[in-house]
Amino acid sequence: MTPSVIPGGSALRLLARDWRGGELGVLLAALVIAVAVVTGISAFTARLQGALAQESHRFLAADLVVEASQPLPAAWLERAAERGLDAARVLTFTSMVSAGDEAMALGAVKAVSGAYPLRGELTASSEPFGAATGRAGGPEPGTLWLDSRLFALLGIEPGASVEVGEARFTVTAAVRTEPDRGASFLGLGPRVLLHVDDIPATGVVQPGSRVRYRQLFAGDPAAVAAFRDWLDGELAPGQRLLSVEEGQPGVASALDRAERFLLLAGSLGVLLAAVAIALAARRFCARHADYVAIMKSLGATSGYVGRLYGGSFALLGLAATAAGCLAGLLLQGLAFDLLSARLPFDPGPAGWRPWFVGGITALVCLGCFAWPPLWRLAGASPLRVLRRDLPLDSGRGLLDYGLGLAAVSGLMAWYSRDLALTGAVLAGLALTVAAGGGAAALLLRGGRLAGMRAGSIWRLALASLQRRGAGNALQVVMFAIAIMLLLLLTLVRSSLIDSWRAQLPPEAPDHFILNIAPEEVAAVEQRLRADGIAAEGLYPMIRGRVMAVNGEPLPTDGDGDGPRQREANFTWSATPPPGNELLAGSWWDVDSDAAVVSLEEEFAERLGAGTGDRLELRIGARALTVTVTSLRAVDWESMRPNFFMIFPPRLLADYPATFMTSFHLGSDKAFLNRLLREFPTVSVIEMDMVLSQLRSIVGQVSAAIELVLAIILLAGALVLVAGVQASVDSRLQESALLRSLGARRGLVLGGLAIEFAALGLFAGILATLGAELSAWVLQTRVLDMAYRPTPWLWPLGLAGSALLIAALGVWGCRRVVNTPPLAVLREETG
Amino acid sequence: MITARALRKRVPVAGGELEILKGIDLEIKSGETVAIIGASGSGKSTLLGLLAGLDLASDGSIEIGDVALGRLDEDGRALLRAREIGFVFQSFQLLPALTALENVMLPLELRGDGEAAERAGRYLERVGLGERAGHYPRQLSGGEQQRVAIARAFAAEPRILFADEPTGNLDTATGERIVELLFALNREEGTTLVLVTHDEGLAARCERRLRMTAGELEEA
Ligand SMILES: Nc1ncnc2c1ncn2[C@@H]1O[C@H](COP(=O)(O)OP(=O)(O)O)[C@@H](O)[C@H]1O
Ligand SMILES: [Mg+2]
Repeated sequence: MTPSVIPGGSALRLLARDWRGGELGVLLAALVIAVAVVTGISAFTARLQGALAQESHRFLAADLVVEASQPLPAAWLERAAERGLDAARVLTFTSMVSAGDEAMALGAVKAVSGAYPLRGELTASSEPFGAATGRAGGPEPGTLWLDSRLFALLGIEPGASVEVGEARFTVTAAVRTEPDRGASFLGLGPRVLLHVDDIPATGVVQPGSRVRYRQLFAGDPAAVAAFRDWLDGELAPGQRLLSVEEGQPGVASALDRAERFLLLAGSLGVLLAAVAIALAARRFCARHADYVAIMKSLGATSGYVGRLYGGSFALLGLAATAAGCLAGLLLQGLAFDLLSARLPFDPGPAGWRPWFVGGITALVCLGCFAWPPLWRLAGASPLRVLRRDLPLDSGRGLLDYGLGLAAVSGLMAWYSRDLALTGAVLAGLALTVAAGGGAAALLLRGGRLAGMRAGSIWRLALASLQRRGAGNALQVVMFAIAIMLLLLLTLVRSSLIDSWRAQLPPEAPDHFILNIAPEEVAAVEQRLRADGIAAEGLYPMIRGRVMAVNGEPLPTDGDGDGPRQREANFTWSATPPPGNELLAGSWWDVDSDAAVVSLEEEFAERLGAGTGDRLELRIGARALTVTVTSLRAVDWESMRPNFFMIFPPRLLADYPATFMTSFHLGSDKAFLNRLLREFPTVSVIEMDMVLSQLRSIVGQVSAAIELVLAIILLAGALVLVAGVQASVDSRLQESALLRSLGARRGLVLGGLAIEFAALGLFAGILATLGAELSAWVLQTRVLDMAYRPTPWLWPLGLAGSALLIAALGVWGCRRVVNTPPLAVLREETG
Repeated sequence: MITARALRKRVPVAGGELEILKGIDLEIKSGETVAIIGASGSGKSTLLGLLAGLDLASDGSIEIGDVALGRLDEDGRALLRAREIGFVFQSFQLLPALTALENVMLPLELRGDGEAAERAGRYLERVGLGERAGHYPRQLSGGEQQRVAIARAFAAEPRILFADEPTGNLDTATGERIVELLFALNREEGTTLVLVTHDEGLAARCERRLRMTAGELEEA
């Protein structure tokens, strides 16, 4: 078989030969990293999203929940069964629980069918506040489980019998956690859990009673989705599907941010890889211009050259896509392996999108970054065989950069599906590039003047910098982009993880005490202090109901999210509570008694009220009309007590209030029994389980973020290597010449080191600026976080990039001092 | 064979325009060996580039056989080169990624020759490098590289061979041997040879000598 040099087999051979020459390495690596980063991250986020959706279903105790204030059609349960779905029924209402004539308490009754919960775990303990264990289902008919605090309130022990309505039950356990109990604990009475079949016997559910009915469904995701679609069409007014966000705003927003971060990281990865590809392709083409000229002088047409190189780039693209997809697959597998120990749920399937995204990325990167130089390569003049100094490409410039920018923006937007995020990164980039071009040129020129008076190493270095002015400016900008993106990602990652940690400090309050009577306040505080427990301040609490907005009465039961009458917790405060941010209007004077109110923004939105609107309230039996004077944003992720409605202290002074507080308890659960025995009427809410769950999720997501960051760092390093390599070519020959003129190794290397360090320093200045700007935009506009300036970034960015670039540059040029100058000169001219 | 009429070449430079060739008329008959001599920078390579269709003239016309170069586009000229023209350069211009054999095969395959490898092998034998077929250019000395280039130029059996200072990068003794080889092959193949040199000795071996002085050509 005779070898062929003509397209077809020759593209492959061209690749093989150039591989031997080591020139395609960076290009291939850049492509592989681009594809691996996007497939890996999109597979990772897709699976994480799937897993989190499952995880979030735990907060609903099902995959799908429909709720109404009227009984729901039994036919729906049958339809669900036909489709192979599991189903359960839940009723909730408030009722008295009594243990004998004297001991009575108001309980939040929840009646569940045998299959409950369909998702997540129900835990109970045999003693109040005892060790909680997972249970397969709720209480058997005829028995019930009580909230731990009800035991003290009713003065009973497990095994006692209690009455709900007309039915008598045996208390068999203390109910500890329910998956769908939710975080909005305020206002919930102590739980009474019983079997739904016992409801008729109690006789408490009559037409007109305030009962919430739920049907829960779970099963195969596709079947659930289909059932959801069907159910959507069946819903009558007043019946609605529940979403997860209502249950767990803290988890939802943490995960949402994490996901955005991953998408940001992925977009930056694409960007970095694209820059590396562009650099590598340019270098490849610059080095091949001479070969093309030779081939053309021997009679090769542009078409032939185009096919030959196009073919080999296509092969390269295919190989890179395959390798990249494989690497991405391994990468996300590795990520889940790392996490699986801590992951409380199964990652879902990745689906086909990641591979599709990877393929498109390879295609776009090749098409928009590698194709333009390639295309010019095919048009290279054969005259180069006679005149090697012929400029390679005259028509380059704006069009190329425009194409590249359009491609990158398109990819980022498509990939992150988030225009704000894409915009923030691109704005930072644009600034870096614009400021970069100008500043680099200026600084380089200034440097030359300074160098005139310096020693010979410096003069050499600065003269060289200056001579390649335009090329250097471009290179500085490239370095700056890479370093900026790396700094940016590190910044955002640190502040993201820090903000989570700050929200969930180890000593965060994990228990709440509600219903503290005014005369008990001093005694409760003393008990807490005596046991060495540090409590947050005491907040007054009044329950009331919004009846009308601007004279317009609200329905007791609106459909969906429309305004309706709402029970809410009121408090009073002379000043805005910590963690509350005033969005609109103004706060009152410290000793105001005006009939005004400050609303939490989302609550206000649901009511359809804004500043200046009048609300009619009912507090106990009394009516009160107030004007909304301010709207507040509340940090729901903090474990502090938060309130929808806040009034001036003197306005509510003569309304009956109870007090609440929160504290960190840790593992001393016995304290709760002591507390409740002493103050039987207060309510204790345990949040420690919710907290530890939140912590574990945040921990996992942080680990995932670190992993992704590491991958992106790799892509960034590749850009730097590609950039340095490109400039090494032009410096090699010059350095060889210097050496043949008798320059010592030290002089040549020193000059190179200074030259590259200067480039790195300029790049570092630009990069740090750009990173700060982008971080500011991202954190305030996209991630909803507070921005903090980061002075430590400056020394790190500047010194780090100068050192790194200098090291890479000297390493790239080491050949020039390690081989005889003649060899380099001959190779470069031959 | 080659006819040039009123050939001019101007290039834009910093301060305006530089006229490198100032109206050149030239006729070279089939099978002739012609040397173009002249000082460095006088425009010899520029003329060669125009005659071979590597570049376009600013004014005037060139015909090769009965084909007017000005009428052909870049690809048309490439195809003409593939069929009719061979090159030997001062700096050898071998593709570093190809072996000696593959370098010689290149123009043959560009013509669609089905037996490129055999023919290339024969030509390598003829320049005395049969043993080195699998070597890469960097493993060959300058003289050996130029012999590969000569094999490559003749293997495609061109009707015209252009050589731009073929001995310029070689020491005298090696240069002598290269010149012997070039003329020997030229005799055997009956190729039209256009040779650019500033070496009077080399020029003396050609049937005709033309002298380039500052962009103007005259018989020497
Ligand atoms: N594209 C060009 N741009 C500017 N100057 C050129 C260009 N091509 C050739 N020259 C100049 O024209 C003159 C003739 O060049 P050349 O034909 O290479 O000379 P020779 O081969 O006789 O040494 C030289 O001074 C060269 O610098
Ligand atoms: Mg010349």
